[in-house]
Amino acid sequence: MSEFADPSDADVIARILAGESDAFAILMRRHEAGLLRFATRMLGSADAAADAVAEGLIRAYRHLGSLDDPGRFRTWVYRIVANRCKSHLGRRSAQGVSLDEAAPVPDPHDGEAELERAEQMTLVERALATLSPEKREAFVLKHVEGMSYEEMAAMTGERIPTLKMRVHRAREALLEAMKEHR
Amino acid sequence: MRRLALVLLAVAAPLGAQAGGGSGGARARLTGRVPEVAIAPVDSVVRAAEADDLPTEPLVQKALEGAAKHAAPGQIVEAVAAHADQLRQARTLLSRAGGPPPTAAEITSVAAVMVRGLPPPLAERIVTALPNEPPGPALHAVADLAGHGFAEDAAVDLIVAAARVGLRGLRLLDVATAAVHELQRGATHDSALATVRRALPDVPSPPKPSPAQVNRARRPRPGA
Amino acid sequence: MNELDPRIHQVLDGELPLESLPPELRATVLRLERAAQLLRAGEAPASVAGRVLAELRRPRTATRGRRVLRWLTERHAITIALRPIWSLALTAVLAAVVLVPTHGTPPLLGAQEGIAQFVGHFPGARSVDVVGPFTAWRSGVIPLRDDDHDGVWSAVVVLPTGAHEYMFVVDGERWVADPLAGRYVSDGFGRQNALLIVRPVGR
Repeated sequence: MSEFADPSDADVIARILAGESDAFAILMRRHEAGLLRFATRMLGSADAAADAVAEGLIRAYRHLGSLDDPGRFRTWVYRIVANRCKSHLGRRSAQGVSLDEAAPVPDPHDGEAELERAEQMTLVERALATLSPEKREAFVLKHVEGMSYEEMAAMTGERIPTLKMRVHRAREALLEAMKEHR
Repeated sequence: MRRLALVLLAVAAPLGAQAGGGSGGARARLTGRVPEVAIAPVDSVVRAAEADDLPTEPLVQKALEGAAKHAAPGQIVEAVAAHADQLRQARTLLSRAGGPPPTAAEITSVAAVMVRGLPPPLAERIVTALPNEPPGPALHAVADLAGHGFAEDAAVDLIVAAARVGLRGLRLLDVATAAVHELQRGATHDSALATVRRALPDVPSPPKPSPAQVNRARRPRPGA
Repeated sequence: MNELDPRIHQVLDGELPLESLPPELRATVLRLERAAQLLRAGEAPASVAGRVLAELRRPRTATRGRRVLRWLTERHAITIALRPIWSLALTAVLAAVVLVPTHGTPPLLGAQEGIAQFVGHFPGARSVDVVGPFTAWRSGVIPLRDDDHDGVWSAVVVLPTGAHEYMFVVDGERWVADPLAGRYVSDGFGRQNALLIVRPVGR
């Protein structure tokens, strides 16, 4: 079964820079789901998330040669997508568009447990949307994307104590918002 | 050429002399597509499988595949015979796990996973641990994990744990995908499994196709 | 805003075990962990890989041309003021374009059927087919299309639910295992087939 083991990100990048551009598909397949989830939580919209991630991946491909440490591709591409999300949010607040999207309509065939879960999901999503972009990013990177503080520091360029404080405040804000929206 | 002759003998001999008359189904589908010299031995394998109550469609498809890929006749016969063995093994495994006689679909499904390299004892462990589950998705989930370097026993434990908290069928594939994503995010194999286990039953499902995709979808016209 | 007991943060940061907290504080940790779980498990948007590949293959034009191209391809809110009779006519034309399918009647999907999307990057190819048991391993039954000639070929197909082996055949002769498949199986002929698992559309 080991014959199907995946090459590392650094190996794939070396192949791309050597001319095997199609190998970028491997990196996309590997990281796309996490990036889309991160962007969806940041922007509150699947369409906007798809735009931000697509733009981020295109930018990452075009600047692949400038990546100092190919082993850190993941944090680097997250940073690029985070910046795209900030741009989208900046444009959005200039246009005055609400962050709320319509709650998904539960399937009438869903059981009670599914309906309750859908309600809980809506509550959490709405609460997350009330956080400032900075706190939202901190919470999502730590608790949804599972990054360590070291990875977050590599990604954002901020110091670990600063990031810890931001995550702590984000947790408090989220709990508060969940109480208010109940 | 000698090798081909040996393969033909090995396949044809135990079955004795068969009248040359058409068997219908398989032979008709192979004619004009599979090299003529391979048709009789492949047909023998198919008839033997049929007599043994094994599904024959995967065998006919394997022969058509080999022909389409311009494989040598001997290779085609070998591949079909090997696949018949895999179907037999799959049926034995399912029967040993207990319960009603396995259906053709279940046998085909288990054989498909064993072709991925899942060791039979491992496959048997899953099938025995989840007697009320269709075997395919659970086995593919374990094969997905093993293919990414997860320890086989730990992979089985995770999938069984997922089934026990109510995840069924194709959702078990989502469990494997979640663990693989953890790995790709830099977790070790052990911590990836632990993270997913803690999250059960909440693992992401893949996006559903959009209405536009469904509208664009075409149906393949029935083939041979 | 209420500051949380610092021990809650320490547990969530992995610096203290949950068991070290009194029960009333553990509930807060669990509430946050539950929120994170829900956010992780939400439905993901569809893949953007095809779109990214298409963009990367697009020849890069001169700066001014690139700006124009970008404007043309980005989404914009365009307001057109029309006299009522013209807007009705436009709506009818748009409806006809959207609702009349281009490849015959859209399929009604059975309970044991799902959708498979095949995508491959083959610049310069004249034809790309997907072949598998669902085509009886014949080429030409499911051709992929590259309508905008950017080298990205795709097809969306109705297939029975379950596992399907397949390969792409480029220009009628080059057999390629889909690099985006993620699962591969030895074909018994010295190559590997890609393996796809089709789910029923409802779930």
